[in-house]
Amino acid sequence: MSKSKFSHVKIRGVKTSLPEHYIDVDDELKYFGGNQKKLDRQKKMIGYGRRYLADAQTTVTDLAVDAAEKLLSEISVRSEDIESLVFVNQSPDYVAPADACIAHGRLGLSQNIPCLSINLGCSGYVYALWNAHALIESGAVGNCLVLAGDLPTHTITQDNRKSAPVFGDAASATFLVRTEEECRSAFVLGTDGKGWDKLIMPFGGMRLPYDKDTFNYSATDALGNVWTPNQSMMKGEDVFAFTMEVAPKLITDTLVTAGWSNDDVSLFAIHQANKQILEMIVNKAGIPLEKTPIDVFSKYANNSTNSVVTVLCDQADKPIDKAVLATFGIGLSWAGAALNLSGMHNGGIATYRPPANRPTREQQIEHWLKYYKGE
Amino acid sequence: MTRDEFLAEMQEVLQTDAELTADTVLADLDEWDSLSIMATMAFLDKHFGIKMKLADFRVLSTLGDIMDKAGL
Repeated sequence: MSKSKFSHVKIRGVKTSLPEHYIDVDDELKYFGGNQKKLDRQKKMIGYGRRYLADAQTTVTDLAVDAAEKLLSEISVRSEDIESLVFVNQSPDYVAPADACIAHGRLGLSQNIPCLSINLGCSGYVYALWNAHALIESGAVGNCLVLAGDLPTHTITQDNRKSAPVFGDAASATFLVRTEEECRSAFVLGTDGKGWDKLIMPFGGMRLPYDKDTFNYSATDALGNVWTPNQSMMKGEDVFAFTMEVAPKLITDTLVTAGWSNDDVSLFAIHQANKQILEMIVNKAGIPLEKTPIDVFSKYANNSTNSVVTVLCDQADKPIDKAVLATFGIGLSWAGAALNLSGMHNGGIATYRPPANRPTREQQIEHWLKYYKGE
Repeated sequence: MTRDEFLAEMQEVLQTDAELTADTVLADLDEWDSLSIMATMAFLDKHFGIKMKLADFRVLSTLGDIMDKAGL
């Protein structure tokens, strides 16, 4: 695994934005055949609870820009002082251009800064932090705004019970700066691209583009879930085996790389895959459950790219000193970070209020048709 | 852990009200799903230090088979 250490970068602040609308699994008895016991059993074992869903007109950039505006205001940083932007997500507003550029324009940042998007999911936030640390420590930039998030609910349908109750939407902003005083951090990163198809959205890219016939196709699995070509899918058994092989070792490797023991750490923020998997990781890694939130999954579900940020922001009322972040998923890809977060502004979790008069789907289509025509 | 204690624990692990015996056929239990298999894996690892993969469960047909794996 790739290991790296930094000594003069710190996180000044972090904030998460969630959509307004949510679903509680308690209101979904119909999907459990009206069987309350079955619902309760899955709640207890998997930890199903509440999940937030962005509406059809809200994108990950909307949520991330909202988080950034609120964060920058709270820590009194002017948009013109931002020196770089990294945006990580897997549900971009457009196939092209990159969301990083769209967010740059929306936030009114300086034209003299680099902006780039990273296409990673569950492991992506730590990859973006690592990228920001490297940019800053090298001296290339003095600070970096990291945007992260995803709308996993937009690539599954709520009737598809294999994935629907597991995922919720969220996005965040994190601001990192160079420090003169020492602030040590360590990262451990890895990839297994042979597992590229274990979590995947097969359609819609250039290998298998959407075409007129695309939505004539569908497949029904053994549980009766209907899969259409706009849905992402996961080979559960394989991903579970990967997780149990990689995640506990990632946590211990990150601790060793940082030279920390469990006692040094005030928070273990582990990707909130689900409650059962989290408990198994905690056991296998030998880390203390009292320092490892697993209820975040029940409060916000699995937020994909934003999952560990949601864990951090959920702890806004508690002081965090040293934290270990561990993320793993689509790619297959994994990343761990050991961070000194003392003094960090934790902006917690805010709600994104969409502006009035957003263009409808029909209005957007009309706009782009005129744009093509040159009107 | 005795075989009786194991069966009592398994009721909690599987979150089932069904009466469990060594002869209970896993496939006949309503609750024998991927959740239960994962919970059983974690249970075997924690209490017996036995590392099983999901695929290993395909060749086990009864709770007695699982107890044999656990050396009970």
